[in-house]
Amino acid sequence: MVNLILKFVSCCRASDIRISTSEVLDCLTQLQLIDILDEEQFKAVLRSNFAKSRREQSRLDRIYHLFFHEMRQDMGIAERDSLSEHIEDIFDMLQEKAGEDEQLGAILDFISGDPLAYLRELRRIQREFQDSTGNTRFNLGPLASRLQMLINLNTTRGAIAQFLDDNHTHITRENRHNLMAHFNEYLDSAYAMLMNEPRPYEDNLRQVRAYEKRLEKLGEKSFSLLTQKEIEEMREIIELLVRRLKDIMSRRFVSNDRGVLDVKKTLRRAAKYQGVPVEIMFRKRPPRKGKIVTLCDVSSSVWSAARFMLNILYSLQECFTKVKSFIFVSGLTEVSEIFDKYEINQAIAKVLSEADIEYNVPTDYGETFRDFRKSHMDILNKKTTLIIIGDARSNYFSAEDGILEEMREKSRRVIWLNPEPEQTWYTGDSEMYAYKQHCNEVRPCRNLNQLLAFVEELIL
Amino acid sequence: MEFKSVSDVKNKLEKADYITSKEIATVVFLAEATNKPILVEGPAGVGKTELGKAVARSLNRKMIRLQCYEGLDESKALYEWEYAKQLLYTQMVKEKISDVVTGSGSLSEAVDRIADQEDAFFSERFIQPRPLLQAIVSDDPVVLLIDEVDKSDPEFEAFLLEILSDFQISIPELGTKKAIKIPFVILTSNNYRDMSDALKRRCVHVYIDYPDREIEMRIVSLKTPGIQERLLENIVDAIRDIRKLDLKKKPCISETLDWAQSLMALQIEDLSFEVILATLNVICKYRSDSDKVRDYLEKNHTSGNAAWSISS
Repeated sequence: MVNLILKFVSCCRASDIRISTSEVLDCLTQLQLIDILDEEQFKAVLRSNFAKSRREQSRLDRIYHLFFHEMRQDMGIAERDSLSEHIEDIFDMLQEKAGEDEQLGAILDFISGDPLAYLRELRRIQREFQDSTGNTRFNLGPLASRLQMLINLNTTRGAIAQFLDDNHTHITRENRHNLMAHFNEYLDSAYAMLMNEPRPYEDNLRQVRAYEKRLEKLGEKSFSLLTQKEIEEMREIIELLVRRLKDIMSRRFVSNDRGVLDVKKTLRRAAKYQGVPVEIMFRKRPPRKGKIVTLCDVSSSVWSAARFMLNILYSLQECFTKVKSFIFVSGLTEVSEIFDKYEINQAIAKVLSEADIEYNVPTDYGETFRDFRKSHMDILNKKTTLIIIGDARSNYFSAEDGILEEMREKSRRVIWLNPEPEQTWYTGDSEMYAYKQHCNEVRPCRNLNQLLAFVEELIL
Repeated sequence: MEFKSVSDVKNKLEKADYITSKEIATVVFLAEATNKPILVEGPAGVGKTELGKAVARSLNRKMIRLQCYEGLDESKALYEWEYAKQLLYTQMVKEKISDVVTGSGSLSEAVDRIADQEDAFFSERFIQPRPLLQAIVSDDPVVLLIDEVDKSDPEFEAFLLEILSDFQISIPELGTKKAIKIPFVILTSNNYRDMSDALKRRCVHVYIDYPDREIEMRIVSLKTPGIQERLLENIVDAIRDIRKLDLKKKPCISETLDWAQSLMALQIEDLSFEVILATLNVICKYRSDSDKVRDYLEKNHTSGNAAWSISS
């Protein structure tokens, strides 16, 4: 039993579920307390010890199914006995063929019932980062290794068929059929695993679509359709709303700013009453606020939404400890300084004209994330809310959603605002589907009403 | 009183008016048997908090509840010195201090003498226990419910760790308080943010989803005795359908119960289109949501293919 669990654990680890030794120990103790023949109970123990968030559960369920169902769905024992000799032969043959090749070896392990190496290979393929040296960029790296695996799967399948053909004299027709079916089952499930990466269950992701239609005309108009005059109008409205939000904020913190006793002040006051501390003074506690980091896509369509968001965020700056902003097209530039120095509307104009960014290149989210990881990863911590505004249209460059996952792990929350209507999110070169799974929240952000609903939720 | 087996947990929880799946029962059983906290995740309103209450009822223990929010700190969660009381006592015993000091030869001796009395002011008399300390020092075993732990700050999470793994609290002035009876700890999370690995490692995890049809029907019939089978089925089907819509706040179990109860109070036996419209505000808490449900209903009502039979 211990061995079985340990094997299962290493498979889980190979597919990126973090399991500590203490959790394995807990699991083993707990298994002694329950009826392990009842699968529901057995699975509940593994799930509750190894997958400690909803995000990990789908991955665990997949491996659980693979490990305890697919890998064990052997043929009847008697049948297996009669075939085992041939199976051995086939393994020998494949072993010879595989030689030093890691992928072939992994596939061989997989069809002999040990998925560990194969899971490792899969993970390597999924996690492969593109090194962005040189000027040309492809997304061929990850694609190529995936293709290689596909070829290897087919080679193995072919080799087995060939072997059975060659030996048709001393393997009966029925056995040949059974053997092929036996291996095909494994190869099919290996194939399915390669083609469909597991996605976390989506019920964990907050997907906000509904919002209150507070402002009638201007509030519903899409940002990208605003005329110059309407933009002016918009600013006034935003100013008004920002003031109202600030009021709410300050009211909220008045009741909340009583901290610990301020001995100095209390004693000083006490002097008035001959040393009797009639009035007790407390230290005021600054409201606890989060740090905000924004990444704004400034390719034209998205910028129209991003500018309003920056406008509101910076007007509400005192509600947060710090707001840091980056803009990107392909590669990042920090613009916090411009916003610190200039008045908000000037700053927005300046960002477009002065920031060190190249506008005449196709948007590349992968490059942006790589850039962020290289030089800015340290600004994220558990108090940081990361807001990304963009349409996730990456012009078919590598999506690098793995980096986004790293970013999520470092920060408190990741929120993705998409200025496109939701119907078009998953079309064309949009990587929204890949990015979505690593966000805590995704929401469309096309007009003022949606933006306001978002900001309000953010600070209240 | 404790649980003997998984099915025992299930029965006892059911007796405490909480109907649950085997997976949850298994986790509760294990948590109790191995003294580990449970981390409960799930959408709002599926009965995460209620699980804590039900466990308390079925184990016949007192429940201590700590509601987390942004800015929650030690003084609200663990303990607080009662400064006002301390100051008051200082005033009252002012004369006594001169008694203590009289006869001391030098200033440093006087200070030493006062220092000897220090314990009088940092004793349990002046400590105000907050939920976590209450749970630790309680003579009877309790159920400690730490609600919405995802709303708290990372700092709070950090000092939860000591309590969750060793069931002890360190108070600098008094030393370490160890639990007299180990409490049964339940943490709930709405998944507003991810919890730290350290915290997760110390807990057993369970995800509670919306209940399946059969369980939801049992819950409703348990909480609204005397409800007719047909109405019950219609209600549950309707709610399950509405949940599939894209709403700001999906109706959860408590809304199903409210709805069933209000329909019972109105003595309605058939769930007709008009009745649903009239009672929509029980299910939907936002106007945009009720509009959406109304649209959906109208569409299906006219085309006559609502998934749940609306008898008109």
